[in-house]
Amino acid sequence: MSWISAGDDRDSTIAIAAELAVPFAALYQSLWTQPHVPADILELCRLRLAQLHQCAAELRRHEVEIADEKLQRLAHWDAEPIFSPAERACFAFTEVYAMDVQALTDQHAEAVKTHFGDEGLVLLVEALGILDGMTRLSLLWQLPAKAAQSHASGESL
Amino acid sequence: MTGHPRAINANTPTGNMIRDSALGLVPETLDYYMGLNRKVWECGPLTPAEIEIARLRNARTVNCVFCKSVRYDIAKADGLSEDKVAMINDDFRQSALSEREKLIVAFTDQFLNDPSGLTEQLKVQLLAEFSSEALVHLSLVVAHFSGFSRCAVSLGGMPDELPIMEISVPG
Repeated sequence: MSWISAGDDRDSTIAIAAELAVPFAALYQSLWTQPHVPADILELCRLRLAQLHQCAAELRRHEVEIADEKLQRLAHWDAEPIFSPAERACFAFTEVYAMDVQALTDQHAEAVKTHFGDEGLVLLVEALGILDGMTRLSLLWQLPAKAAQSHASGESL
Repeated sequence: MTGHPRAINANTPTGNMIRDSALGLVPETLDYYMGLNRKVWECGPLTPAEIEIARLRNARTVNCVFCKSVRYDIAKADGLSEDKVAMINDDFRQSALSEREKLIVAFTDQFLNDPSGLTEQLKVQLLAEFSSEALVHLSLVVAHFSGFSRCAVSLGGMPDELPIMEISVPG
């Protein structure tokens, strides 16, 4: 269990606020099924956020299956040709978002829009808001790093 | 921060400020987003005035001009005055805010500035004042409004300042 509740992971902790848990889960799930930014890119952005925040609980969580090679190289994505231009645009945006959202430039936004349009940019910032928030809460709640958890995909790595 | 919008919703206006914003470009998530927004205000143990204190503290830290300018009518009706809003500043610990309100600000600051650095002292104070359900409610309030503020900043188009605007929770 964490200090905040008897729950020992994010989902069981949120479940304590029963009337909020269902609408939150619906919003969270919608991120992985929308058509504007591929779910695997969002998952890589989520994991990059977890790396930047040094959040072990979020790093052990898996929403979408990602090739091991990409997982291994994500921390150094800028020097790894395995990542596509679209992925790189989203990672660059994610990193600045995580460190100082006020420092995002029009160039960061245009790079994302080149691949995913205005809709993709909006989806990305909406998703980052939720994913960054959950990462911060996992740290603040001091959730333990459990064995790999699978959620949106229904499959575990 | 940029003064011009980085994404534009050219759809026919609906009169709903969130649907007419750039968020309206992604209908696949919008209804869920608005549904959670309503529940954050209407459900859970925290009062609207307490929610507004956390929301405004976040708005100030993230420096979202729009979020800073907004006042929710239900929080005002719940007793949140502009005098109290003015206390949600750097000197809040010496202010006339109640100890419960100061803890709401402290929790919000911890989330925003150092989520992995929660002290035992603050943890004990929070557990003495709030139920587990209230702490989860507060957590989701802060996470939700932090995400919204960062979204607004990321998408640009905000002026340097705005007058205070009283609004209702969007339907």
